This record gives sequence, C-alpha cells and structure tokens, in this order.
Amino acid sequence: MPVNVALGHVSNAFLVAALVFYSLSVVAFAGDFAFGRPRRAAATRGQQAQDRAAALAAVGAAGRAAAVPAVPAVPEAPAVPGAPAVPGAPADGPASGPAGGGDSMPELAVPALRAIGEAGRWVQTALALSLAGVLAHTVSVVTRGLAVHRAPWGNMYEFVTALTCVAAIFFLFVMIRYRAWTLGVFVMGAVVVTLGLAETLIYTAAGDLVPALQSYWLDIHVTAMTLATGIFFVAAVLGCVYLWVDRYAKRVAAGRAAPGNGIIQRLPSIEQIDRLTYRTIMFGFPVWTFGVIAGAIWADQAWGRYWGWDPVETWAFITWVLYAAFLHARATAGWRGRRAHYIQLLGFASLTFNILVVQVSIAGLHSYAGVS
Amino acid sequence: MLRAVLRARRRTVVLAAAVLTGALLAVVLLAGWAGGGNSDVTDVDGSASAVVYAAGHRPLAPDFTGTTLTGSKLSFSSYQGKVVVLNFWGSWCVPCREEAPTLSDVAAQYQPSGVSFLGVDVRDTTASAQAFARSFHVTYPSVGDPSSVITLDFTAVVPIAGTPTTLVIDRTGHIAGAVFGTATYPELTAILAKVTGKAGG
Amino acid sequence: MTDVRAPETDPFDPAAEPDDPPRPDPASPGGGAFGPADWLRWVWRQLTSMRIALVLLFLLALGSVPGSMLPQQGTNPAGVQQYFTSHPALAPWLSRLGLFNVFGAPWFAAIYLLLFVSLVGCVVPRTFRLAGSARTLPPRAPRHLARLPRSAEYATALPPADAVEVAARVLAGHGFRLRRPAPPADRADPADDGHWVSAEKGYLREAGNLLFHLALLGVLVSVALGGLFGYKADRLLVQGDTFADTVSALDEFHPGRFVTAADLGPFTLTLDTFDASYISSGAQRGQPSAFDARISYTEQPGAPVRTGHLAVNSPLSIDGAKVYLIGHGYAPVFRVTDARGQVLYNAATPFIAGTSGNFLSEGVVKVPDAQPEQLGFTGVFVPTAVDVGGTLESVFPAADYPVVSLIAYAGNLGMNTGAPQSVYQLDTGGMQRLTANPQLLLPGQSLKLPGGRGTITFTGVVPWVSLAITHDPGQLPALICGIAALGGLLLSFMIRRRRVFVRARVAPDSRPGSTVQVGGLARTDASGGFEAEFATLAAELRSAHEQAGPHQSAAHHQSAAHRQQEGE
Repeated sequence: MPVNVALGHVSNAFLVAALVFYSLSVVAFAGDFAFGRPRRAAATRGQQAQDRAAALAAVGAAGRAAAVPAVPAVPEAPAVPGAPAVPGAPADGPASGPAGGGDSMPELAVPALRAIGEAGRWVQTALALSLAGVLAHTVSVVTRGLAVHRAPWGNMYEFVTALTCVAAIFFLFVMIRYRAWTLGVFVMGAVVVTLGLAETLIYTAAGDLVPALQSYWLDIHVTAMTLATGIFFVAAVLGCVYLWVDRYAKRVAAGRAAPGNGIIQRLPSIEQIDRLTYRTIMFGFPVWTFGVIAGAIWADQAWGRYWGWDPVETWAFITWVLYAAFLHARATAGWRGRRAHYIQLLGFASLTFNILVVQVSIAGLHSYAGVS
Repeated sequence: MLRAVLRARRRTVVLAAAVLTGALLAVVLLAGWAGGGNSDVTDVDGSASAVVYAAGHRPLAPDFTGTTLTGSKLSFSSYQGKVVVLNFWGSWCVPCREEAPTLSDVAAQYQPSGVSFLGVDVRDTTASAQAFARSFHVTYPSVGDPSSVITLDFTAVVPIAGTPTTLVIDRTGHIAGAVFGTATYPELTAILAKVTGKAGG
Repeated sequence: MTDVRAPETDPFDPAAEPDDPPRPDPASPGGGAFGPADWLRWVWRQLTSMRIALVLLFLLALGSVPGSMLPQQGTNPAGVQQYFTSHPALAPWLSRLGLFNVFGAPWFAAIYLLLFVSLVGCVVPRTFRLAGSARTLPPRAPRHLARLPRSAEYATALPPADAVEVAARVLAGHGFRLRRPAPPADRADPADDGHWVSAEKGYLREAGNLLFHLALLGVLVSVALGGLFGYKADRLLVQGDTFADTVSALDEFHPGRFVTAADLGPFTLTLDTFDASYISSGAQRGQPSAFDARISYTEQPGAPVRTGHLAVNSPLSIDGAKVYLIGHGYAPVFRVTDARGQVLYNAATPFIAGTSGNFLSEGVVKVPDAQPEQLGFTGVFVPTAVDVGGTLESVFPAADYPVVSLIAYAGNLGMNTGAPQSVYQLDTGGMQRLTANPQLLLPGQSLKLPGGRGTITFTGVVPWVSLAITHDPGQLPALICGIAALGGLLLSFMIRRRRVFVRARVAPDSRPGSTVQVGGLARTDASGGFEAEFATLAAELRSAHEQAGPHQSAAHHQSAAHRQQEGE
C-alpha cells in the first residue's frame, strides 16, 4: 500500500503543535513556582500517620524526613493502581476533624476536580496546555500510523515520538491522580527536550517497513517496549528530582544550605517522590518483561531461535536485570534511597544506550533503526 | 570498628571467590562430560573413525537406485550377493581427493576377487564428477546424489556425519564395517579382510 | 518487593533488617573456634542474602556487556577472525578470558548459577513459611490499636458484641480472613474483654513473588533442556536444488549434547522458486518489500510431495523441526570447458553479498580437475551494474542488468591434500594469475583462457536462499515459564499483605453503645497506598455501624426471643 504522504505531513504538523503546547505548559509550571500561591498543608492526621509509619516500618528515609523541613504540598496519595478493594473517587464520607466527641477518622482523599480547582490558575493553565499537547501528540502518532498503514513505531524516530507520547500521557495520569503538580515542570520539560532532539536529529519521513518487520509481532513487541520505555522515562526524570532533593536535604542537614529553598519547598516530600518513582517502575517492569517475552516469540518466528544474545537482546536483558536490581535494592538495607535511584538511572541509561547506540552502530539482526 | 568491617568485607570477597571457583569447576566438569560407547562396535586398529560391526549386529543397507555419471540407471539390488565397498564422495571435498588414490589401489587389489566398488557422488554436478573420475582414473561407477537422499537413507542406519564415508557391505547386504572420514589403506584392507575372510585380496 | 527474613509474629514488629541478622563474626574477640560447619553456614547465609543477590545481578549485567560489544564466536565467527587480525596483541588475551564466547563461558555460567542457587536458597524456605502462614490464623488484635500505623476511632450506638459482628461481616465481605476471640475460658489475657476481630488479606502476594522466582528457574532449566536436546543447522540452497535433512547435506550443524545424526527428521526439501521484490522508486528505492520462497517437501522418503512457501516471519514446521528463511543472494551460473570442449564445470555458484549494499556479491569458482593445471576464478557479481568512474557499482538489488567480473588463476588450489577449504574463498598462494585485469562478462559471454586452458562462460544467474533448521524442545517450557513469571510478577506487585483489627469497648461515661477502634498495618507496602484503603475501609465500617442502629439490634433481640419461644 502506498504511503499517504499528505497524512504524513499532517502528522508532522500536529507534532510541532504538541511541542509548542508542551513548551508553554513547562513555562506555566515554572510560573506556578514563581507566582502561584502556596497551597494548604496536608491534613495533620495524614502527617501523623506518615510519621508513625516512618517510625515503625523500616522505610529507611525516616531520618531524612526529619531533617527536611519542607511541608508536603501534596495530600496523601490514594489507591495504588490495580489494588483490589478500593472504590472509586470518594465523593462523600466523613470530613476530617471530630464529628462527635472523641472521633478520629482518617481523612479521605479530595476528589481530583476539586483538587485541580484549588491548585491555582498557573497549575490549571499548565494542565490545560499539557492536555492540549498530549492530544496533539496522540493525533500526530495516530495519523502517522494511518499514513503508513501500520503501527507507527517502525524506526527510531517513530519510536521516540511514540514513547514520549506514552510518557506524557502516563505522567498526566500520575500527576492528576497524586496531585503532583510541582513535578510537571521536570517531566514535561524532559519530554520537550527529547522530542525536540528527535525532530532535529533523527527525523525520518513516513515510509514502508523492510520485510523482516512486516509481522503482527511488531505491534505486540514494539508496542510493549514503547509503553515500558515511556514509563521508565517518567521514572528516570523523577529519579533525578529525587537525587536533587536528597542532595539538598543532606546539605541542609550538614548546615551548608539554608532550608526554605523556594522550589524544593513546594515539591512533594522525598518519601513521596521515592514512592512515586517506585510505583512507576513497578508499573513499567512487567510491561518490559512482557515486551522481552514477546520479542523472544517474534525472534523465534523470524530468526529461528528465541534468544541468541543479539546485541539489542543483550542490552534489553541488561536493562531488565538493572531494574530488577532496583526492585531488590529497595528491599535491602543500606541500598534504599539514593543508591537505589542510581541503579534505576543506570537502568534507564542502558535502555537509552540500547536505543541510540546499539541498534544503530553494532551490527546485529536488529539493525533496522532506519537511520543512516 | 572500621577495621572489623574491612576484614569482614575482605572475607566476603575471599569466600565469594572460593564459591565461584567451586561453581566454575562444577560447570567445567559438566561441560566436559562425554557420551558413552557401543559394545557392538569395535574399532579398527584403535582408530575411532574406522569400525567393524559384529556379526548379528550389522545394520541392513537400504536399497537405492540412481543415475550413474555416464547417464545409465543403476540399482543397488543388482549387487546382491556381492561384497560392496560403498564410498560417499564429492569432487569439491578435499579429503575425498586425498583418499582417491587409496581407493583406486584397494579397488585394483580386491576387484579381481569379486569385491565391487560403488561411489555415491554427494552434492555435486555431473560435469565436475566426471572430471574428477578422469583425473583420478576411477574405474568403478558412481551414482549421483545431489540432494543427499541416498545419504539420508544410510544415515538412518549408520551415523554418517559427512564426506567422505566408506561403507563395506557383506554378501547378505548388511553393513559390516565403516570408515568415517578419509580412508587409509590399512583401515580399509583390515575391514575387507574381515568381511571377505581373505587377506590381501 | 518484600523483605526476605521478616518474621511474622508480632503485628507491631517492623520487618527485621533482612541482611544483618546477628551472626558469629570470626573477627570478634573471644569468638572461639569457628569450625568448617560455621564457615559453611556463614557462606550460605551470605549467598542467600539480598546483598549478594544484588551484587550478582550487577555482575550479570556487567558480564553481558562485552558479549554485546565484541564479536562472538557463535554468531559471528568471521568477525572474531577479523578482530584477531586487527588486534593481534589484544585478541589472544580476550580469547583466554572467554570474551569471544561470553554467554558460553564458565565464568558467566558461574554468575547465573550462583544467582540461581541464591534464589533457590531464598525461595524454598519462604515457600514453606508461606504454606505455614496460610494455614495459621491472623494474630490476636493488639490492645492499643491507636499505636498502629493507621488507626481510627469512633462511637457507635451498638453494644460491643454486635459492633464486632457487623465489623466482621464487612471485613468478610471484602475477602479478609478472620480470627475471632476464643471462648472466655481459653482466653490468654484475663483482662481481654473479648470483643475484637482480626482480619488479614493478601496472601497471594507472596505466592506471586515465589512463582515469579521459581518460574525464572524454570526458564533456565528450559534453556538448558533446549541446549542439550535441540539442534541448529544451516543450509544454503540454490533455486531448483533439493536437499535431504541429514548431517552431510547441511552446511552447519550444531547439535545439543544428547543429539545424534539420527535425530534429524528425514524430510527432503526443494526450493522451487524464490522471488524478491524491491521498492523501485521514491525515497526508499532499493529497500526490499517482500521475499517469498516456494518450496516442495516430503516429510519422509516415499511420502507424498507437499508444497508450501517460506517467508521471513513465516517458518515451516516439518516433522518436529522448523525451517526458516534467513537470507538470500545470487548464484551466477558458469560453464568451464577445456580446449577440446569437454565440460569440466557447469553449476550455479553461490556468491555472497558484501557490505557495499545492493547485493554486490563476491564468490569463487574452483575447477580442481582441469588439466594440466587446476583452475580458479575470483569473481564479483553486480546485479544491476553501472559504471561509476571506472568501477562497477550496483545501484539496485534486483538482477536487472547483471554483470560478472572475473580474475582467472591456474596452478595448485590446495585441494588434493590438507584441510578442507571454504567454497567461498580461493587461496591463490600456489597459483599464477592468468588475466592482467578483471574481465567483465554479460550473461552469455565467454572468457577464453590463455595457453589453451579452455573457456569460462557466464550463462545466467539464479537466486539462492539460506535456511535455518532448528529444533528446540525447551522452547515451549520456556514460554510457559516466562508467562508464569509475568503472572507471578503482576500478582506480587498488585496485591498487598495487610491486617486490620477492630476492637469494640463499652463506651466511657456510661453512654449506651460502644467505642469502636480500628487499626491496620500493611506488612509489605513499600510503595504506599494502604492509607487510602484503610481510610475507605474505616469509613465503610463506620457507616455500616450507623446503619445497623440500635433499633435493628432490638429487632435482633426480638427475633432471638421469638426463636427461643418456638424452640420450647
């Protein structure tokens, strides 16, 4: 089937639009830091529970939590995605504070729309712009797929645009669910930079696939890898934020920096960032595992063996092992916190290395990145 | 305190190394494990590539038909009742070229006493095979086997792993001996002596 | 991920540090004799600790890196050769360290074997512990629920016994496993007024965790199974040719340890036609668009001939083995005749494509039975030839304008004695060059050799395909174990082991009804999220208690009295 060049141009136009929206949203998120009004502190109950939990459970960051004077700007997070017995957004329920004599009930989460309404104009603008950007980005990816009559992740350029779309959608979901507005500037900023680099350096016009890639397994394997990479992208950005905040907290504790740095004051607490990162990776790791399995099935169909230590396969394995090490590290004393995030970032670095270097330069069966 | 930690760490490293070495040894031993032998087969002159099958344990040679290098049809069943030396070869095959003079000599020696020699030309073309026969003055016929189907049939009964392979078939049509690889004069004549009951033809 | 050695006794007990349980340290003063049994125990505890597991994971990742950067013997033997020639000093050392065969090297095997020993050492005791804990009931409700990480307290009009009943019903409705207090005579604590219920949920989490790790072990075993009982083979087949699946007909045969030549399925396969189509215009000109090989095969000698087609991503399953189309190329047909016209050579000669693209291929013709001297030719085949500044280049991969360029040699090919040679390489050491320049031939053209040695004619070109024939009995088990691992992973990530306790005490200051205390903790909640569940659960309990108001309990007493009446 011939490539629909007109639709290809439409796709490019929407991608540029998405870039513009994302950039503006980054500006708006930054504006929230500079000009937005300070948000109300989390309910004292929530803070108490957090302290008790920190004291009893060996999360390991309790000491650091005591040192950081930052007031968490985010109310405690509601349910884990996929947890079994949690009803939908609770709209009713006893409010905080004693209703009758001696009552103390844990506070239920404020519904999302109300939280957005309370977040201030800058956040609302930034959210609207991000949403517009995500929509434009999705349209761009979809029209690209329609233009080439196949799933739009057949070469590196398409892969990067698709994974940044996944990252943006995923992060929007996380941000709204956990009211993590202050992380928006980092993640959307990273998306802007990545998309911009993809546009300028590795742009490939819409075209057909080599026969080796003409299989329905393309849709399954590469889709899973695209999803997982987008999710790990978000986790990597959050990991960098964690390291920055952690370093700052250590400096404050050592007396070398003054507490009350404007931006860090407004970010979620370090445990919250840590937990958010952990949850993100918990989401992405099974997807990556599935992607590797699907890739093995496809490799068996195409090349006669399900695992041959092809360089791309090997680096996908290395990435898997490193993220598994991260998950292990979180359960190992002395390896939680900073070190675990180093491991996580190392895993993302190996993933990036796999995409950018191994697929292109090292000759193997995987070299159809479409980059000359 | 620090010294104790360092000592403990070093000990960890030493023990990790010891356990790793142990595991390595185990793996190496496992990898070097070889298969067993077969008592119905005896080696000729201690060479692992030339074997003789004990009477009663000789596999039946499958029948086959084919076209000779000169274009005529040949059926293996026409060799019934005779001792046959069946040589799998190809003009492209270096060890086959190496053993060709040996085969000619043995043929010259044993053909007068009724031993037949037949070649199976594997993965070859007629033109190259005929040129080979001219070069080495091969006096006996060869059947073409470009698709290796004849070889496939024989591999079901004897483990033919490549060319050249020489089989010695007794008068009842059973494979009595085999040389897997380049045939040497002592190996071939030893097998023929056992099969024909005569030494030196 | 849960901590490894968390003892499950006290509901308050924070998870014990998994890596540093007190152990006899040989360096500790006064620490007496440290016999071999103690050493072994120490080694074992180290090996099965999370820290060593982490270290081994890092080593596994690190060890895989050279396997992807350096050419490996199994997949790229030519690359290894090239490495030796371009790095003559470094290569032998790398080879000694096993870096040209990383994934088969003993040190790599040691890493993953140790990792799996560590895994088994962790998983097996925990499996027993899980089986044990699945049978035991949740612990008693502690006395001071307010001290738990999550707690709630509220008043209700129900008496304590009924309040606990209602709470138990709500919790049971959510799938919790319950424990109720023993009858008064058996109670351990005489001050315990006995109105409480313990609930626990989420046992599947640990089961999922264990399933994941055991399934990984299963994958390793499956891979080993395939390696021992499977095989891989290659064969290059020219269009029109047939081959039978036997060792001597295969170009390469890599059997597993327990595989013999007789294990090869007795099928025969013919390549009837091969078609490749390429994009002829636009930005992607020259890129392949489809490959299709039409084949006929018989599953065993004498069976009916079947037809099929092979394409990339579309292998053929024959007789337990799978046949794959891996690649293709061109085989120009040459005929060599001697001075008298006798044909010495007449065959399609496979040429191998180089790296310059568009199937510019190189090959060799050997005529070992030419007289008086053996002949050899090195050739370059150009499918669509265009003269670019004096050199021939191929501008399109299809054989639209085929040209062959030959250099002729005469002498000793080295084929009559010595080691087997590659059919794609010519050793010109013992030969003299017959033609000063490469001679170009179009289809049908001939080159007359000097000295009355004969003629070589380029008669045409046919395609060839390269096939891979593989058999891997470990394939299906590996897939099943992989899916099981994924399932276990999802279970362990999505399910949280948690406990909820409800206690009802008679309300203070002689109010009717009782004070209900709810407490909860998550045993494995490193990612958070239990707080929200607890909040909604507490709200649900409270509203359940409000709905089951005092009038209902009065009705309950009434019906009980009614039943008593009927019973008499």
